[in-house]
Amino acid sequence: MLSMQNISMVYRTETVETHALRDFSLDVEEGEFVSVTGPSGSGKTTFLNIAGLLEGFTSGRYSLDGKDTTQLDDASRSRLRNEKIGFIFQSFNLIPELDIFDNVDVPLRYRGFDSAERRRRIDSVLDMVGLASRKKHLPSQLSGGQQQRVAIARALAGEPRFLLADEPTGNLDSAMADSVMELLEDINSKGTTIIMVTHEPSLAARARRNIFVRDGQLSVEDAGLKVAIGS
Amino acid sequence: MGPIWRALLRNKSSYVLIALQIALTMALMVNAIAIIQERSRLMGRPSGVDEENIFQIYSSSFDPDLEYQSMVAADLDLIRNHPGVVDAVLTNSMPLRQGGWSQGLAIAPGDNSDAVGVAIYFVDEHGVGTFGIDLIAGRNFLPTDVRWFDPDGGPRWPETIILSNAMAMALFPESTAAEVIGRVAYIENNLPVTIIGIIDRMQAPWKEWSGVERSMLVPMKRGDDFARYVVRTETGYRDEVIPQIEKALADRDTGRIIDGAQTMNDVRAAAYLEDSAMIKLLVFIVSLLTAITSLGIVGLASFSVARRTKQIGTRRALGATRRSILRYFMLENFLISTVGVLGGAVLAVAINIWMVQIFALTPIAWYVVPVAMLALWIVGQLAVLGPARRASQVSPATATRSI
Repeated sequence: MLSMQNISMVYRTETVETHALRDFSLDVEEGEFVSVTGPSGSGKTTFLNIAGLLEGFTSGRYSLDGKDTTQLDDASRSRLRNEKIGFIFQSFNLIPELDIFDNVDVPLRYRGFDSAERRRRIDSVLDMVGLASRKKHLPSQLSGGQQQRVAIARALAGEPRFLLADEPTGNLDSAMADSVMELLEDINSKGTTIIMVTHEPSLAARARRNIFVRDGQLSVEDAGLKVAIGS
Repeated sequence: MGPIWRALLRNKSSYVLIALQIALTMALMVNAIAIIQERSRLMGRPSGVDEENIFQIYSSSFDPDLEYQSMVAADLDLIRNHPGVVDAVLTNSMPLRQGGWSQGLAIAPGDNSDAVGVAIYFVDEHGVGTFGIDLIAGRNFLPTDVRWFDPDGGPRWPETIILSNAMAMALFPESTAAEVIGRVAYIENNLPVTIIGIIDRMQAPWKEWSGVERSMLVPMKRGDDFARYVVRTETGYRDEVIPQIEKALADRDTGRIIDGAQTMNDVRAAAYLEDSAMIKLLVFIVSLLTAITSLGIVGLASFSVARRTKQIGTRRALGATRRSILRYFMLENFLISTVGVLGGAVLAVAINIWMVQIFALTPIAWYVVPVAMLALWIVGQLAVLGPARRASQVSPATATRSI
């Protein structure tokens, strides 16, 4: 499903060379729910950006759903993002001027679906996240939890092969965070692969597999996470 | 387009001002173009004379014993025989000079006849050739038609005249130029003059006069100490001939002042000085307004791109290509411009109707409004291109940065 081989990412300025990822290798199988944890500056976000085709990398090899992404141009990467990946962001990243319906519609328009198909998908995902009655509301009229549900609906509307979630509960109180996590677990149980970056050990523990990133490298996997949490 | 339009409506305040600015620019642009077209049309009217090759020159004498008629005869003989000169004539004025004589002509004698105002050019048989005007019917004056004005009891007017076609049609609207030849008109109520020729066109000296196309050549020479000569040169010799004639006239008779040498081109430029200044001013104002509007669009679009960097990153993350982002901002500007130019079209027409009523301006040509709309659309698209390209360069990774 997702295969990273020896990925390195180096940011260079005139004076400093920063190794955000070093020789990073990871395989994620279809249907997995993987959490990614690690301290600030460890490379979690860089990993997420590369996995989501949001930025390139300095060396290594990355295949997504069997397709080698290394040589893809910007437009092809955009298309691949749109078709294969759903994004969920910490601060929801809803477009404030658009109502809920139009927000969920954004990736579908880029996909080029006709209006009937878009409407069917939007109605379906908004119904799934329990916000079918709010589609004419603006994001500012919803609570944080509801906004994140809209963002999840937006991520799911294109029926992507996997979801990338960047601190999806980071801006939510615990009750709302719990409800969002339940929703993600439910989505995962229906077959969607999820990779979730989080710094919350309790949430990370709800994933089926945990990876820990330190200094741009995969530090400990699975049980190792508990070691890291405990230390 | 739907979501962009709905988003604009939810954030009206930012965009209303720029749409208003576009509307005002459009309204001013259209009406400035209407004024420019009107002035250009006036300036473009042909005077009927050979403007490129004509100049005038004055002789002012203070000699109490001056033999005026001899002086004129000698001067004209000198000028007409000068190399490069086609012809020359003693006259009282020329088109566009803004000073001259006029008289009324009627088709019936009597105090109650309706006279039509006409500009008078006193000339001899060289008048038609000197001004380079086209005789379209009848004949030119013969030397026997021409007389000197006699202030001591001689006839006040000669027996023959040549009319401009516009004047002939004003007197005899149902006739052709040829049919007017031989007809009699009356000057100073009761003095008959026979029309012997029709010239295609020779404007009156006053450009603003509603009867500017009505003129009359009168075969009479008059004057006492001041003489205005109009000279026509061969093509390309005018500027060379002017100082030569000035010097030759001054040398021939040193007891006078030879002055006022002025080409017909300069006479035209002086006559239309205000109009051409007005055109330049309006072009400057419209250009300035358009520049300010485009800077406003650049400013608003740049601000809008800076404010929405994260949103652009999010759109990119959700699958927008660089091209989609570019198109988004171009389309957004197109919608704002459309509101502006549609409002501007209404405002432009309203202002024009008002100006037509108040200043008797000609109504704007139908095509000016769509052309101005198109121009402002293009200006808007060009202005937004820079910010839109910057927007398209925003990295999709911006979506995951915490700002």
